[in-house]
Amino acid sequence: MASSGSCNNCGKTSLVRDDVTGELMCSSCGVIQEYDQFEANIGGISGPQGTFIRVGTAGASTRYSDKQRKFFQAQSLIDEFTSRLGISSKISDIKTMISTITEGEFGQGDWFQVLIGACVYIVMRKDNRPMSMAEVGWTVGCDVYELGRMIKRVIDHMDLKNFDFPEFDIVHSLERVLKISPSFSRIDRSEMDRIHKQGIFLIQCAMKWFLSTGRKPLPLVVAVLVLVAELNQVEIGISELAKEVHAVVSTCKTRYKELLQKLVEVAQVLPWGRDITKKNIVKHAPSVFKYLETKAMLKPGAKRKVLDHPEFNLADMVSECSRQLDEHGHDSINLPSDSHCSISQNNINSTRPSTRDSNKILYSPECLSMLYKKYSDRVDLQEDCSEWWNGKSEMSKKLLLKQLLEKDVGFETVPPSFISNCLKCEMRREKISAAKVRIDRIMRPWNSDLGADDCSEKKLKRRRKLVDGVDWEDLIIETLLLHQVKEEEIEKGYYNTLLDLHVFNSGIV
Amino acid sequence: MADQGLEGSQPVDLKKHPSGIVPTLQNIVSTVNLDCKLDLKKIALQARNAEYNPKRFAAVIMRIREPKTTALIFASGKMVCTGAKSEQQSKLAARKYARIIQKLGFPAKFKDFKIQNIVGSCDVKFPIRLEGLAYSHGAFSSYEPELFPGLIYRMKQPKIVLLIFVSGKIVLTGAKVRDETYTAFENIYPVLTEYRKNQQ
Repeated sequence: MASSGSCNNCGKTSLVRDDVTGELMCSSCGVIQEYDQFEANIGGISGPQGTFIRVGTAGASTRYSDKQRKFFQAQSLIDEFTSRLGISSKISDIKTMISTITEGEFGQGDWFQVLIGACVYIVMRKDNRPMSMAEVGWTVGCDVYELGRMIKRVIDHMDLKNFDFPEFDIVHSLERVLKISPSFSRIDRSEMDRIHKQGIFLIQCAMKWFLSTGRKPLPLVVAVLVLVAELNQVEIGISELAKEVHAVVSTCKTRYKELLQKLVEVAQVLPWGRDITKKNIVKHAPSVFKYLETKAMLKPGAKRKVLDHPEFNLADMVSECSRQLDEHGHDSINLPSDSHCSISQNNINSTRPSTRDSNKILYSPECLSMLYKKYSDRVDLQEDCSEWWNGKSEMSKKLLLKQLLEKDVGFETVPPSFISNCLKCEMRREKISAAKVRIDRIMRPWNSDLGADDCSEKKLKRRRKLVDGVDWEDLIIETLLLHQVKEEEIEKGYYNTLLDLHVFNSGIV
Repeated sequence: MADQGLEGSQPVDLKKHPSGIVPTLQNIVSTVNLDCKLDLKKIALQARNAEYNPKRFAAVIMRIREPKTTALIFASGKMVCTGAKSEQQSKLAARKYARIIQKLGFPAKFKDFKIQNIVGSCDVKFPIRLEGLAYSHGAFSSYEPELFPGLIYRMKQPKIVLLIFVSGKIVLTGAKVRDETYTAFENIYPVLTEYRKNQQ
């Protein structure tokens, strides 16, 4: 802060107050000016003793007012958070945003930290480089929901619309985790690049398969990265990575399992797909990847044509293996001549147009396992990743949602929540029909026992067993059925509502 | 009441519900003014089904079995009744609460009964691409998977808030009359079919 007067050495007016000592010095010649920091002893005779000088910003009467101090502290808080998050380049945007929101007042207290967090999040997301709320929340010391509420208020206040506030970009989130996570820092560049591309590829597949819709993005990112790292022989613990990015460990594990489950489902189109389970999928993942990638590179229109010469021809592979088998067949493996697996080259060619079709051919299990074993040995020998990954597919680059949805990776699915809902409905339907049978048996005991006199005792036992197997849900369903509630209504599973509407409805006139 | 009571056994009116799906009402919130000052402590001590903890909440919480509802009774004489599954049930329940208060010796009336909120839910039976919906209906919707799994759709006409989930389940809230819930659902249904996942 420059003050009035001129330097007593050089005569220039460039005097500056030193922040630490509070002394006045000349910024051109460096001479410290004469002592001018004397402060009157305030508080009278009972006041503090000694000679008082100003030191820096401390002291009884610094030049800062309350407002200035608040302002200063706010600025330093913003500086601290942005540097901790490593986005110092965006600091001016953030400051401008906070300034407009608070009308130049800035602020103090816990809410101000949350506001900084919200503005950091919004600025980064506007810039299409989103940070996760978990990370921002952790830095500014508040939970995700508190931060989320503030973000919502800021968005409403600034009236941000769709086009200048894009959706959370999960692919960028993945890239960011790769960049900042210490777990990935020890990996060399080329490998990193491959992990990066495969990660993007897999996460976009996961988006297509509804694994990201309506779920927190970070756990999926962690799951994808752990799987891809595993495929590239990089050991990364899922819980460590989850903790690094502030994701919940158990959710990450669930996503990882879901991802494996989806890959198993994809693998069913491969000729040896039936042997692939969740336990051995990681070993088979390269071939699944190859399949997905090849599929993703096909143009939807040119499917047929290209499939005649696919880069990865399963049929060729099988035939090659079977030829090798034939060579050794005489001494080690004796294939029965009428076995389904002795497919000639012609046969294979005819099955080529669709890999799905080749799945339908009946190979005898033992033959398949032999073929497969040969191949898996080969895969194990060639651990070099270039065998199964070429990274040329568009899916390994970031795509727009629309493009992504148009892509075909040879596998379509529905969201897990939808599947579980269908299963629940199915279960309720079964319970309804079981309940109907029970009701029917009680209402017409003669009909059901007709012609079954000889085994009545047996039946009684069975019935008793059934009675034991009835749970609360069955009883509710029975009650509802007896009150003439429609089956479709019961299927929805809103038991309480239906009970209130149809059963405990006596008081209504 | 007759039409609601029989709802379960009648086929869906396709003129009113072109989608063929009728949202199920899950909760009705209503208010009524008993128009007299109440001594909450007295109520809490005399009524068996009441709880009152002035440190936690400045109202008596009272419950009845039939219709299964909960009421918040304030010292000013205002009352909020929640948990009913139909408008008639809500009104009946509110009357029952007022009667209980009367029996405790207060000159309670039954003034300005009003339904404040109706919550309904239903299942469209197909998965929905929330990302796509959020993108093209950005002006009405907010989809933040980091905070909440569903898409929040604020419909302007009728003024209803819808929670749309990827599984195809929908929650509709904010209606004052049940027809608003139905209209809102019929409005959103064609939009949802646009973003349904094709099931081959």
